[in-house]
Amino acid sequence: MGLFRELQSEIEKRSLSSGGWPGGNGGRAGIETTCYALMALGDHQGPFRQKAMDVLLSTQNPDGSWPAFEGDDPEGCWATALAVITLRFVQSPLPPIERALRWLLNNKGREGHWFWNWKFRTVDRGVQFNPDKYGWSWFPGTVSWVIPTAFSLIALKQSFPCCRTERVVNRIQLGTEMLRDRACPQGGWNAGNGIVFGAVLTPHIDTTAIALLALTEDYRQPSTLQALNWLRQTCVECSSVYSLAWSAVALLIHQDRLADLCTARLRRALSSNRPIANVETLCLAAIAINAAGGSANPFQVVI
Amino acid sequence: MNRRNWLIASAAVTGSAVTMRFQPQKYSRDLRPKRSRVAVLHADQYSGKLDELVYDGLRPFNLNVRGKSVLLKPNLVEYISGRPVNTDTQLIGAAAEAFLRVGAASVTVAEGPGHHRDTDLLLYETGLSDQLAHRKIPFVDLNRDELIKTKLQANYSGLGHLWLPRTVLASDFIVSMPKVKTHHWTGVTLSMKNMFGIVPGCRYGWPKNVLHWAGIHECVLDICATVRPHFVIADGIVGMEGDGPLKGTAKELHTILLGDDPVAADSILARLLGSEPYAIRHIQEAGRFIGNHQGVVL
Repeated sequence: MGLFRELQSEIEKRSLSSGGWPGGNGGRAGIETTCYALMALGDHQGPFRQKAMDVLLSTQNPDGSWPAFEGDDPEGCWATALAVITLRFVQSPLPPIERALRWLLNNKGREGHWFWNWKFRTVDRGVQFNPDKYGWSWFPGTVSWVIPTAFSLIALKQSFPCCRTERVVNRIQLGTEMLRDRACPQGGWNAGNGIVFGAVLTPHIDTTAIALLALTEDYRQPSTLQALNWLRQTCVECSSVYSLAWSAVALLIHQDRLADLCTARLRRALSSNRPIANVETLCLAAIAINAAGGSANPFQVVI
Repeated sequence: MNRRNWLIASAAVTGSAVTMRFQPQKYSRDLRPKRSRVAVLHADQYSGKLDELVYDGLRPFNLNVRGKSVLLKPNLVEYISGRPVNTDTQLIGAAAEAFLRVGAASVTVAEGPGHHRDTDLLLYETGLSDQLAHRKIPFVDLNRDELIKTKLQANYSGLGHLWLPRTVLASDFIVSMPKVKTHHWTGVTLSMKNMFGIVPGCRYGWPKNVLHWAGIHECVLDICATVRPHFVIADGIVGMEGDGPLKGTAKELHTILLGDDPVAADSILARLLGSEPYAIRHIQEAGRFIGNHQGVVL
């Protein structure tokens, strides 16, 4: 049995009896983890996949959004974008996806509102960013952050590969500009901003990789090139399975020359850490290894 | 002051007093102990000697932890080489050892880092994974723990409830282990502000931006009213001053503060950083129902 199949088998073993996968130690299905698990299982048919699909579809809120986990308050969150990417990947029926896209298009970081835009321009200048460029927040009512924006951009780009309405074009443009605006000076991305109170923040590997997934169409932009360069240098010294998996997925999508090296490092790290790795990490490793073998990458945006 | 201004000022004062009088009390329980105790230990550096120092410092408190599950909540935000933003790992290890020696049935270290989603990488970079593996102490990532919907026992933020990690709620004895730092928004970040870290990222984001918008001081009060730390071990051997939680310079304070009241502990620590505790909103207000501003120094 190959490594990918071993990982799939391990993921299936950790499924909740009620369906789906928990975020960590929990007994409830986490939407993020369940999405990664469905991506990792791909078209591998079985009861775990079907039960997880049932959980994912049944947890969608009436407004089209997804909560963070099964049983959560029905206010919707960033996991909505991830659910859209997942449902597209597993070729689910379209109505839930369409409802989710409407929710995504109606949501924006708080700085997108004129009042908060004005506040960030005039009074609240501690964090340097351009509030005209906004994306998506982790949860409604808060400002834009890199990861929710990157996932939302991927969901929109995959859902509207052509014939984009003005609204979709505008949100993709704004979100992309927001990512460029918030990049760290040395390349890559921290959670939200590159400079806070005058201090240059260090990029994070996973955040940088996820942002790069959303910027495949912008591969000639300086911020994308700088981020790729930073990721190449950093991932070769990284030992974390989670960060290596994200790096491999991003480098593969960008057809980067270091993608193979990164995947080899991931395999090595996995062999020593696998017994303690959480489900999320296992799923991401499986997605990366499968994509490295030439299979479909769930985060691929068709240009 | 002319008559007109005097009348306006009087009306404002009276209005405020009336508003305060009729404002509903924002907390449901008075958690203040009859007396609060603190111990200020001197330590020049982080070393293996901390094991004995913390154990000796803990014993006079005569804590009732025998057979109980103890949860240590350090402050791990982000790894920035050369900048003391996190609780030192040797102190965390020493605290874990000390609680086991005084009879705790189990000790768990738990944290939900505010910025970093890759908790394993953060533990590796800070050296905490090695420290805990060496001592066989488990770690729980609170950002991804099982969550329980919990009614807040105070209502400063207006949030009403939070989803909180089962590991925290199920622990018998919670120890807040802050890094002694100044903070851009809250003045200081000490044992009460450190409890922000129990709020799970998977439900509130990285960072926990929902809490920022609801008010940091207000959320600190609501969280500590709901999950009051039983004990404090503060890392002030090397603290940080400046625009915390991430930007700042090292400040050698050569101090570890132990205390059985987070309000008393934070009041002393704030002064150590050159701040007036009554000027820090959450410390000042916490004196009304979470703990005492004054403590007996052991």
